[in-house]
Amino acid sequence: MNQQRREFLRKAGFAALAGLGAAAGLNPLHALEKTDTSVFPRKPVEGKVRWGMLIDTRNCPEGCTKCSAACHFEHNVPDFSGTKNEVKWIWKSPYEKAFPTSGMQFKSDELEKLEVPTLCNHCAEPPCAKACPTEATFKRWDGIVSMDYHRCIGCRFCMAACPYGSRSFNWQDPRPGIEIFSASYPTRERGVVEKCNFCSERLVKGMLPACVEACPGKAITFGNLNDPASDIRALLAREETMQRKPELGTLPSVFYII
Amino acid sequence: MRKNILMSAWIALALLLAVGIFMQQESGAGTEPSATASGKSESTSCVYPKEFMKSHHMQVLDEWRHDSVREGDRIHVTPDGREFEKSLNTCLDCHSRNKMFCFMCHQYANVKPTCWNCHLSPMEVTK
Amino acid sequence: MLEKALKGNRAYWIWMVLLVMVIVSGLSAWGRQLEFGLGVTGMGRDISWGLYIAQFTFLVGVAASAVMVVLPYYLHNQKAFGKTVIVGEFLAVSAALMCMLFILADMGKPQRVLNVLLHPSPHSMVFWDVIVLNGYLLLNLVTGWAVLGAERKGVLPPAWTKALIYLSIPWAFSIHTVTAFLYAGMPGRHLWLTAVLAPRFLASAFAAGTALLILISFILKKSAGYDIGFEARKKLTVLAAYAGVANFFLLGAEFFTAFYSNVPAHEHSLQHLYFGLHGHAAFVPWMWTSLVVGIGSVIVLLVPLFRSRPRLLVAACIGLIASIWVDKGIGLVIGGFLPTPFEEIVGYVPTITELQVTFGIWAIGLLVLTALLKVVVDVKNG
Repeated sequence: MNQQRREFLRKAGFAALAGLGAAAGLNPLHALEKTDTSVFPRKPVEGKVRWGMLIDTRNCPEGCTKCSAACHFEHNVPDFSGTKNEVKWIWKSPYEKAFPTSGMQFKSDELEKLEVPTLCNHCAEPPCAKACPTEATFKRWDGIVSMDYHRCIGCRFCMAACPYGSRSFNWQDPRPGIEIFSASYPTRERGVVEKCNFCSERLVKGMLPACVEACPGKAITFGNLNDPASDIRALLAREETMQRKPELGTLPSVFYII
Repeated sequence: MRKNILMSAWIALALLLAVGIFMQQESGAGTEPSATASGKSESTSCVYPKEFMKSHHMQVLDEWRHDSVREGDRIHVTPDGREFEKSLNTCLDCHSRNKMFCFMCHQYANVKPTCWNCHLSPMEVTK
Repeated sequence: MLEKALKGNRAYWIWMVLLVMVIVSGLSAWGRQLEFGLGVTGMGRDISWGLYIAQFTFLVGVAASAVMVVLPYYLHNQKAFGKTVIVGEFLAVSAALMCMLFILADMGKPQRVLNVLLHPSPHSMVFWDVIVLNGYLLLNLVTGWAVLGAERKGVLPPAWTKALIYLSIPWAFSIHTVTAFLYAGMPGRHLWLTAVLAPRFLASAFAAGTALLILISFILKKSAGYDIGFEARKKLTVLAAYAGVANFFLLGAEFFTAFYSNVPAHEHSLQHLYFGLHGHAAFVPWMWTSLVVGIGSVIVLLVPLFRSRPRLLVAACIGLIASIWVDKGIGLVIGGFLPTPFEEIVGYVPTITELQVTFGIWAIGLLVLTALLKVVVDVKNG
């Protein structure tokens, strides 16, 4: 696991930090631990990194929801029954709902029952960030479309703008919907929008996103799309991949192998 | 109060810009911004003088939040060269011996900060 | 001048007290919403805007339609509108006020509303909407008030009012254009992603807003003996009729592109609204009623034989307003979310709390409008 993390760090362009990889391993379950500032990069360079994700659905076990469980625990995502007040960051959707604009006639039996993990695409051209009137949601220096919960006014413009249904609003206080609190990420308040953050709180400590680590089929590859030597770029070069609704020009950073 | 926050935000922004320009020049010269190996922030004194923190910790936290969330600038360097992660947890960690550290003062001053609506308070974290 | 709103007959006060009661009920509902969160409404993850934003969209149109009397009167010297202009301007003021209140009611964190100005984001259409709506409210309030004040003193209005009035004309078009751009720039919502949305917004606004003005003119005549005149009403009727024709023409254009091109994304939203999709047809009766009533009303407004009968005229105005309210509010705003990005159809039913807040805000608008028009009537009637 440490070996894997060190590998990830090296590949991810934190070459200078690779030697400190072990020191970077902070226990996410304890929020109030001593901080080790040496693991953080200084001022980030804009555009040097663009985080991306490749989901190989061939290795995504049928009926498994471990990615979503790990993510939702890590980030204190509440669980409310029913779809109306639902909050979700990563979840499985039937193939034809995740890719409604792909060919639908005469699907193979495999596609007919395929479910794929869906999450925020961290678009390079995010319509949500454009629509936000306060820049509470914005594209970060590393391509992550981030949320500033302290600034969000809850107008839900981003939800209308997102063509992937990736955003959730806190229609009520989320805390009653959280069974066990994780100390690695704050909860949210009622009245703000939230979504997947590509585990930016883990990345900064040199860890992989929770869903990547939780996947028993190792179906998710995570890395720097701007680094031609990264694993994800190698896979993208080798395999035939898809993005959700590419015709909208949002340039998603999440890719799929079907 | 709001004016103060705005003021300090502007100052922080100006500083950031200055730092940004400085950094750019540096990276232009071909050096990569690298992490220092100063290790853990074992410290017995605060990031700012005690009196200043008493009156301005909310502004400090607000600036820290802005810097780390929005700019990715996560390290606070004190004038004497000590480094801290710009995080509420840095404060809570240092003051972890007294779980009531925040509450005592806030209760005395009868202020109700909204921090704990989202951040887990020291009372909620089991260690 | 405002003191004139504090003197009135029994009927005036009964009406005002009634409005205050509705406002109080709305405020208590809003309190509940602040306490629990927007979960008390019928909105949800998929239909994330509802009745509030629907009212907002409709009312921006009402506000913009003041230009239908301001423009002919000030640019084309149509003296017939002399007694109508101020009514139109104050209707715009109260409509713009309601718009802002509906936005506030729809916000998850209304206490942070100033963030829109503290962190100005020109790339967001909301930023521009806040600017144009506030500006439009001020323009109409200031010019209307100044011109009325001058009239009371029997002097000519100050010269600067002319400049502001001229400015308010393109400004009126801007408020509804920007409101349409709120929707028309979103890549994944195909009912909204259309270049004719702004023109259609303007057309439907000018139809419904002008029809509302005609209704108000009848109410003023009946309750306060303030008659804007036969000529003015006739001109307004023609304006509303042609705006209505333009609106339904543009709707037809939408139908053609969606169904002739047969592109599923374009087709699905309209299909869902007017014919039902995947077996979901909750909107169908609403949309067809709106269409039939709307076209019927426009015909009444167009044909002199029909529109010359006051009762039929009133019915047609009510019909046109209701038709456009359904089309723009229920159809466009709520229907725009369906099918969802996952090609699903979900339901939306406003809750009692949501309705209470909505009526409360309408009551605030009517209260302000009544008070302003009371001043107008008292000044004009001497």
